Amino acid sequence: MDWVFLSELAINGALTGLLYSLFAIGLVLIYKASSVPNLSQGGLTMVGAYVVLALSHDAGLPLWLAIPLAAVIMFGLGFGIERVALRRLAGRPVVMILMLTLGLDIFLRGTTLAIWGGTSRSVDLGVSYEPLFLGDIFVSRIHLVGAGVALALFVAFMLFFRTRTGIKLRAIADDYMASWSVGISVERGVGLSWALASVVAVAAGVIWGEIQGVDQALSLLLLKGLTVAVLGGLDSILGAVIAGIILGVVENVGADLLDPLVGGGSRELIVAAVLILTVMIRPHGLFGRHDIERV
Amino acid sequence: MQEKVEAQNILSMNSVEVLYDNVMLAIKGVSVQVPTGEMIALLGSNGAGKSTTLKAVSGLLKAERGRISRGEITFQGTDITEVLAQNRVGMGICHVIEGRRVFEHLTPDENLTAAAPRGMSRSALNAEKEKIYDYFPRLAERRNSQAGYLSGGEQQMLAIGRALVTQPKLLMLDEPSLGLAPFLVEEIFGILQKINQEEGVSVLLVEQNALAALEIVSQGYLIENGRVVMHGTAEALKSNSDIQEFYLGGGEETDFHNVKHYSRRKRWLS
Repeated sequence: MDWVFLSELAINGALTGLLYSLFAIGLVLIYKASSVPNLSQGGLTMVGAYVVLALSHDAGLPLWLAIPLAAVIMFGLGFGIERVALRRLAGRPVVMILMLTLGLDIFLRGTTLAIWGGTSRSVDLGVSYEPLFLGDIFVSRIHLVGAGVALALFVAFMLFFRTRTGIKLRAIADDYMASWSVGISVERGVGLSWALASVVAVAAGVIWGEIQGVDQALSLLLLKGLTVAVLGGLDSILGAVIAGIILGVVENVGADLLDPLVGGGSRELIVAAVLILTVMIRPHGLFGRHDIERV
Repeated sequence: MQEKVEAQNILSMNSVEVLYDNVMLAIKGVSVQVPTGEMIALLGSNGAGKSTTLKAVSGLLKAERGRISRGEITFQGTDITEVLAQNRVGMGICHVIEGRRVFEHLTPDENLTAAAPRGMSRSALNAEKEKIYDYFPRLAERRNSQAGYLSGGEQQMLAIGRALVTQPKLLMLDEPSLGLAPFLVEEIFGILQKINQEEGVSVLLVEQNALAALEIVSQGYLIENGRVVMHGTAEALKSNSDIQEFYLGGGEETDFHNVKHYSRRKRWLS
């Protein structure tokens, strides 16, 4: 066994995994504040990338301005989604809201297709593709940047959920009715969580758009992001980060070991197996909250 | 004269009707007055409309697709019938809903933080917390454990404490004694009385445990089938033979066969 090669696989897997985490943090934010798994996070990520492209390539703004501006626009969009679509569903069964988010995802994909077409475009972040060697190990610079962004967001949101606003969001996720009873604006809280998740979507959209190009396929990140979020426990940001690293490493190393045996394509199988096994064996994930039942 | 009455009553409900889902009439013209600074109890059996009455006042009806179809509710002289629930909390109405419903995955300390009104400074919030921990020393001991694992009595205390953080002028409690051992009921009711006296908070208490409730309130309303069927001072209600028979357990007659038969035919209002 070639240990250098194996650790290269593991490290790059971990970096890719952190990029999944970057996406999954958006899912966790919404789940943490409203107990709804947001199936349109992929669509939001794709829209985030398109908005950055529209501002930079189409309107000619420099990227350092286009990305924050896109974040502001998406923040507003997140609030808007709550106001227009989700508010009337508050208190209804979760499955209704789940279907709504699925519909939203399809809607967003259709809209971007209508406006910008289906041709893949690149972001041109300006990150060099020169190989970067840590000792004997080759790592991709853009993955390194993305992993850094993911970790920065992780720290920011860990701190946020200890603030008063963050605590109120967690209270909303626990009990809508009790939140209303003490004057917490559930509607505003849910809106805020969507707004924050939409900002995360810009970050994920830019990084992933740089890696695989911006087109409708970007929304399919949902599958891996959801796997990471479920493995980490849907309401745990720490879980999303650690599960991302785990999934990335398992996927990269596992695929290398299995692909020669099955003739390729084992990567997707590994992701699917992780998702299915998590739900079967440990439904609340690695760090998710249990529903408390006192004896 | 009218104005004077308004000033004396922090809460006044006049012939309030509540419809759920536009079809089910849950209360049928309830009029209840809470004089400022007093403790009032709503008594009655399951499904009589007591909880609905509280939800009409707090505005939480809306979350259950209910609405006030007739009548009006005034709080400190202002008509609040159309005011949003979250704004009523800001006005000073806080509803401790049935079943405690603490934020289970938060610590007691975070439960109190979550209820902080907007604009409350950090030092004011901390002072408020200390005051609540003084009322409920059991909570202070467990302030950083997970609220879902507190005992039933502790959760009820936390639910009351959480409501106090909102700075209520009128505190409404829905069955705070539910599922609690008698000594805990006594402890919690004692603290409620203390809060009423020390903070000047008016209290509207919904209870099935009429015996305990009538010990601490000044007046009580008996609600049956969505209507007020009796209203009087706590002393008058305690000595009323019907109340004794149905809610305080036993009366002069303890022939249970006859009591049951009698209760089935009994109507207070036809």
